[in-house]
Amino acid sequence: MLFHISLLVNFAMQTSLTLCDKVLCMAPNDDDLPPADPAESLRLIERERAETERTITPDPRGLLWPWGFAWVLGFGAFFLRYGPDNRTFVDLPDWLPLTLLLVLFVAAGAFTGWFGSRISRSISGPSNRQGAMYGIAWSLAFAGMSAVLSTTNDLLPDPNAAMLWAGVMVALTGAMHMAGGAIWNDRNLFLLGAWTSVVNVIGIIAGFGWHALILAVLGGGGMLLVGTLQWLRLQRLDGRGRG
Amino acid sequence: MTPAEVPDLDPVIHAQARLRVVSALSTLRDSDSITFPRLQEILKMTAGNLSVHLRKLEDASYVEVTKTHRGRTPTTLVKLTRRGRLAFEDYTAALRALLSPHQEES
Repeated sequence: MLFHISLLVNFAMQTSLTLCDKVLCMAPNDDDLPPADPAESLRLIERERAETERTITPDPRGLLWPWGFAWVLGFGAFFLRYGPDNRTFVDLPDWLPLTLLLVLFVAAGAFTGWFGSRISRSISGPSNRQGAMYGIAWSLAFAGMSAVLSTTNDLLPDPNAAMLWAGVMVALTGAMHMAGGAIWNDRNLFLLGAWTSVVNVIGIIAGFGWHALILAVLGGGGMLLVGTLQWLRLQRLDGRGRG
Repeated sequence: MTPAEVPDLDPVIHAQARLRVVSALSTLRDSDSITFPRLQEILKMTAGNLSVHLRKLEDASYVEVTKTHRGRTPTTLVKLTRRGRLAFEDYTAALRALLSPHQEES
């Protein structure tokens, strides 16, 4: 108890000394004054850390929603054109679903790359290099995949080629998300990757047609959901900081 | 209880503005730095005011301010030094000790 009191006296003393100093120096700079008490100091620290965290973390919606929409629309078109049991729900041109999917993937990749680097440009150091390497890994892995798979286009009938492309693309995406989770110790991102990988295998087993539907709803939907959850987590952080 | 046993609150950090600067910088990972304008945006301080406090923190070797170029744009990068991070950790530990002294006594 005595110890506690002496500490508080010490805090107050240092506070008043600093105050005196300021008054004597004729430097009426309010923000040079110490916080009112230890609890207030801790609140100030928490508030500032939460605010910084919120500012330097890119909005998760901007990183995951483009992919979510790309999957819902791209695989949705796939399902409508190449449904289960060779059914065609909407008579789209043969080439359209795969082209649409690739275009949407490239667009989502370009957008999220730009969006992520917008914030990371204000940070410099190891984190930034990590982010850049992760971005390059995505691009190179997808370029490599496309190069390999495009050699099979003439060998397989359209529906099989489509499922090969979709299945490999999704497996790679799942792996990259899991790796991202491991790099940033981000449980949600890792779970998204694991979920994507499992859903992909389930879709492949369910068979042609179902694969696309499962990826559109569970894969694309999963990304929209995780993007929203991560965004809500940041909002809570913000609320706690201000509260 | 002698006064020597009372943890001193670091006078460099024991000022609202500098405590805010150091708190914000402590959120960055080790060896990461942040651009001056972004730090200013987070802290909502004027450039002049932030510069003054950064100078004081720099004098204590708590922060490192680097002027560099990105392409042709001059950029000022700010980061917490190891010493600054240590001082910040000591400061928060001292605050916690003030608030819950029983843990310290036992």
